[in-house]
Amino acid sequence: MNIDHHESFQRMIDESLVGAISAEKEQSLREHLSTCTPCKEYLSASKRVIAGLSGFSFEVNPTLNARILAALRPQAEQVHEVLAHHPDAMRQHNMRFKIWAAFAVALSMSIVGSALVYQVAKLLATPMYFDNAQLQVGVLVFWLLPSFCSALWMFAAPGEKRGVA
Amino acid sequence: MESDTQRIALGLRQRDVVVLKTLIEQYQFRLVRYLVSLLGRRDGVDDFVQETWLRVLERGASYDGHSRFEPWLFRVARNIAFDAMRKRPMFSLDSNEGDGIRSSSASGEPSPYMLAARTQDAERLAHSLQTLEPVYREALVLRFQEDLSLQEISVIVGAPVSTVASRIYRGLATLRPQFEGETA
Repeated sequence: MNIDHHESFQRMIDESLVGAISAEKEQSLREHLSTCTPCKEYLSASKRVIAGLSGFSFEVNPTLNARILAALRPQAEQVHEVLAHHPDAMRQHNMRFKIWAAFAVALSMSIVGSALVYQVAKLLATPMYFDNAQLQVGVLVFWLLPSFCSALWMFAAPGEKRGVA
Repeated sequence: MESDTQRIALGLRQRDVVVLKTLIEQYQFRLVRYLVSLLGRRDGVDDFVQETWLRVLERGASYDGHSRFEPWLFRVARNIAFDAMRKRPMFSLDSNEGDGIRSSSASGEPSPYMLAARTQDAERLAHSLQTLEPVYREALVLRFQEDLSLQEISVIVGAPVSTVASRIYRGLATLRPQFEGETA
């Protein structure tokens, strides 16, 4: 049996140990292992490495847990107090963030969209005999202003209409 | 019926100290073991552990309870360790494959693995583990000690599953010669 052949099975052993082997390969590996001593030794050495890794026991400082809890408690209580007195505070904060994020997205989309619409309108304007000034006013009135208003409407609309529960 | 992970997620959202206490008791040892594998040293680990739990309290709401808690916890710990090592020269940070950490074994302190070895095989591995590249050591510990899947490890270390698998193979290849030529 050549070295390459063993290497391919040893690769399969690695895959099997990490749990990344197909059932088909696993079966062929099992058959090979029943007859191949070098690959059996390879598997045995690998298993001893894995077993050896479990032979370390790091001591945890006995006062560490108490120290951590002492540090955590005041912070947790502070948050509880805020939640108890202002139950909607966190929710409102999140909602405000979502509204601002949606506004920013809508605004940038209306700017990018306007540039695209202007380019398309320019192409259409020539055969329809519109001049540049008419074109700009048209894009401003029929595209840019409505899209700005839609973005701003997010601040005025009630929560449900903004898609915020 | 509410699952354990969903209960943890709810407890973290509510900053429930009782839930935190239970989590600390349950995961402290594993957190220490993971951080030692990452840093290659024992001293300073307690500070990282404390910082990790503080971060868990602060950002616990981001744990959704749909997946296991351990990978999320280890990811938090890893971010803290990396941030600290970038800031603090006492934890030397050298780049390895773009994101690695180099162990500080050069400091002359006793190896945490030598001190923690409880079996003969562990004693034989201690030195090689200490000098092993931290990214390989981390992958080995997460797979074989923490029993995490390749996908979970991939999320923790922020690398593709194939990279994680390669790191494990290379880690095993480095440690295997310790036991080659012997029967178990």
